[in-house]
Amino acid sequence: MQGYRKYFTKKLVWFLITFVVAVTLNFILPRLMPADPVSAITGKLAAGNSDAKAVQKIYDRYAEEFGTNKPMWQQYLLFVKNLFKGDFGTSFSQYPRKVSNIIASAIWWTVCLQLPAILVGWILGNVLGALAAYLRKGWDKVLLPVSIFLSNVPAFGMAVTLLVLFAIKWKIAPVAGGYAFDQIPNFSWAFIKSVISHYQLPFWSIVIISIGGQAIGMRSMSIYELNADYVKYARFLGVKDRKIVGYVFRNAMLPQVTGLALSIGTMIGGALVAEIIFSYPGLGSTMYAAVTAADYPLISATTLIITIMVLIVTLLLDIIYGFIDPRVKAAQFDA
Amino acid sequence: MKNNLIKKLISIVAVSAMTASLLAGCGAEEAAAPVAEPAATEEPAAEEPAPAEAEEPAAETAEGELPRDETLYFAGQQWGTVNSWNVIGVNQNNSMAIAGNASGYRTLMFETLYMYDPLSGKCFPLLADGDYQWNDDQTEMTVKIKDAAKWSDGSDVTGADVVRTFVIGVEIGNNTGATYGAYIDKIEADGKNITIYVAKTDEGKPVNPLFVVDFLTGTPIAQAAWIDTLYERCGGDATAILNDPGEDVVWSGPYKKYFTDDQKVVLERDDNYWGQDASMWGSLPVPKYIAHTIYADNPAGQAALQAGEVDVCQQFISNVQDLWEKDGLPISTYYEEAPYGVCLTMPTAWYNMNLPVLADNAALRKAIAMAVDYDSIIANAMTNQSPSFSDVPRSLMNPTDGEQALYDHDAVKDLQWAGNDIDGAIALLEEAGIKDSDGDGYREYNGEKISLNAVCPNGWTDWQAAMEIVAAAGEKIGVEITTLYPEWDIYQTVFVDPSQTEYAIFMWSPEAASPSNPWHRVNQFLGSEYVGVENNWSGNWGQYTNEEADKLIKQIPLTTDAAEIKDLYTKLTEIYLTEVPSFSLMYRPSVFHAVNESVWTNFPSADDGRNIPPLDCTDGYGIAALYGLELAE
Repeated sequence: MQGYRKYFTKKLVWFLITFVVAVTLNFILPRLMPADPVSAITGKLAAGNSDAKAVQKIYDRYAEEFGTNKPMWQQYLLFVKNLFKGDFGTSFSQYPRKVSNIIASAIWWTVCLQLPAILVGWILGNVLGALAAYLRKGWDKVLLPVSIFLSNVPAFGMAVTLLVLFAIKWKIAPVAGGYAFDQIPNFSWAFIKSVISHYQLPFWSIVIISIGGQAIGMRSMSIYELNADYVKYARFLGVKDRKIVGYVFRNAMLPQVTGLALSIGTMIGGALVAEIIFSYPGLGSTMYAAVTAADYPLISATTLIITIMVLIVTLLLDIIYGFIDPRVKAAQFDA
Repeated sequence: MKNNLIKKLISIVAVSAMTASLLAGCGAEEAAAPVAEPAATEEPAAEEPAPAEAEEPAAETAEGELPRDETLYFAGQQWGTVNSWNVIGVNQNNSMAIAGNASGYRTLMFETLYMYDPLSGKCFPLLADGDYQWNDDQTEMTVKIKDAAKWSDGSDVTGADVVRTFVIGVEIGNNTGATYGAYIDKIEADGKNITIYVAKTDEGKPVNPLFVVDFLTGTPIAQAAWIDTLYERCGGDATAILNDPGEDVVWSGPYKKYFTDDQKVVLERDDNYWGQDASMWGSLPVPKYIAHTIYADNPAGQAALQAGEVDVCQQFISNVQDLWEKDGLPISTYYEEAPYGVCLTMPTAWYNMNLPVLADNAALRKAIAMAVDYDSIIANAMTNQSPSFSDVPRSLMNPTDGEQALYDHDAVKDLQWAGNDIDGAIALLEEAGIKDSDGDGYREYNGEKISLNAVCPNGWTDWQAAMEIVAAAGEKIGVEITTLYPEWDIYQTVFVDPSQTEYAIFMWSPEAASPSNPWHRVNQFLGSEYVGVENNWSGNWGQYTNEEADKLIKQIPLTTDAAEIKDLYTKLTEIYLTEVPSFSLMYRPSVFHAVNESVWTNFPSADDGRNIPPLDCTDGYGIAALYGLELAE
């Protein structure tokens, strides 16, 4: 048990160090962009205003309000202080909306789009990959090239293809948005149906691509395992195929679980392309808009969410691995 | 064995697919939750039940559904979520309710005193009754407000509302205050009559009467009583007042807020609107709802227009004629033929005078401008949605008849150029001694190779195409011009910096059309008022100075004699075409206006005899279109 405690403490310390560095980078990186968001706000308000003095006054007022006229270290301290209060500040691009308010209204769309898509893609991909490895021949000959093709289609390419085919050409799916253009959110069947139909294209654009990658990974892992000595030995002993497939599947799964955990960790940013192309509401499009508008507080907040999720997921993985992976287990006890 | 496995496989795939749909459904319901809530709070519990005369009883409409034949859909106006309904605030990001300027304020919810019509250059009374009156020396203006004009709470719109709107604007520094505070000294009210006292210079002359007229068409009037409530709520704090969401705002226009979320904004007709009085429109606007889905980008908005989900589209659509000629869609524009829309502005390439090579060499500036192939820009970047510079020769004016009549065409004929004049440009450079002496194919100035960049924001594809053609022109005359496309947030930080030397030739559009134009635009092109100003969003981005031009520019607003005004503008045009501190690359509408007539029809068009400007049925006098819409068969 001693070994475990040491192992976990070490992981936790690294977690905290990474966290502090990540928060600092989250603060600094957006601010290194050679853009002045206060100028953008001023421009929106004052473009074409003939009285230049009045425009300067507007600029000064916002610089003061956002504190961008203060030295960087003061801004950083303020940022950290507010962070502890759960206050991400006020958005520049959607001023005067609070960042937390923007995120709260966007995050559910992303979670509800990404989580099922990641899970379905993962399950389907792994099942198909395992089958390809096991069945080989005809099935593999079809699946492997198809998987390689699918996993190499860029996300935007897949999204645009689906959009053009299903929405524009065949008109069997809606073009954009989270629900129909003639609906107003309510708990009617018509509205729910409209949300489901708007959900399909972004959902499948994510699923189809992830199926390919997962299937390839699972296939090679399974082939590797199928040729392992223990499988040959089990066959030699006359163990039933079903049982062997069970062993192989469990062993081949290990790296796939890591992959799943990481994609859940990064899911907030992962739907960016699908969200943008289908005008789907969510954190991905929010983040994209924030980056193009040099909206520091909003960029920091969204990237911080991703950072924290990835950190938590990797920490959890490390902990779980400590228990389930015999190699890690052995290493800890050796130490 | 294998059969078994395949069966298993099929069943697994089937189960997974079912799980997917199930999850999809689950996602849907969860997803609906966060947006459904504001719906309940946004709409103040149907304070006004649909009046009995409404053709379709509310009960027949499924809750939450907008009947297609009662809703006019827009695209290209609203980007991102609505921030507020506070008409005297800032950053409302509420394009359907609070948007626009003197060239055409969007009067769906809040109204201006007058509506501007860029086609005729006239101001049509809205809240005002009849024309405004100047005194002889243009120091005082009187306006009367219509007797019928009422607020949504039933009270009269009075002069006191105009006074309060202006006074609070100056006090808290909102758009009205910042834009007009320097030109209006004070406003006094007597019941429905107001007198505007124009700000004066030290010599006792009005600072600029043109901007006072802009105030009439560009300022949405807010209710004094509501402003007082807001003022009290915020304890008089300017920032708090500017940022208040204004959910309780009182309006005078034909529409009111109905619903907003991250994906759309909907306005509902106010059936008690005062404007149905015979002294104004005589009826209510036809669509019961005005809806704008928030699209991620232009292609999404255009796809919706093509799908018939959008009726009025304020977006640049490349090769717009293909939509009806090739795709056979019921889509149309103001003119059936090119340029399809009414061009009111001129996207312009500005020379950076902070760079000595450009500041010292008018010949170089003119040579580049002469060499550019504008026809190619107009054909490619604008897909012919602009008249050519042979049709409308370049000057300081936009292509409308009103502005074109303001200068003497013959007097400047020899100075104008239509473009692609490589020989002329080379001759000009040779004559000025700007030559290629080291034989590398590029010309030098003071012994150094001239190397310039042509810059516009990344993703602004039509401008990027134009910049490529400018660069190609440079190549043809031996001047190295490379293109540079920074992201918008960087671009806008640099080009408003008066001391920047990073961008040599860069794009921005001057003012389009409004009562203060073309004067305002001319001041942007040639006036030194903005030279050296930090965060310069106002004009003269290239930092050009010319004392003679300044003198002429100052005279115009105080001149009332038409012949004299024409003479002044002609002289300024001469200076502009000789000095070439900037050069326009194309003409362009200030708002695009493509309509899909599958649901609504009778939109304004050039030959319908109504003279309603194609301003998306919402801006300035363009709103008149809403009263003539008809349902398509």
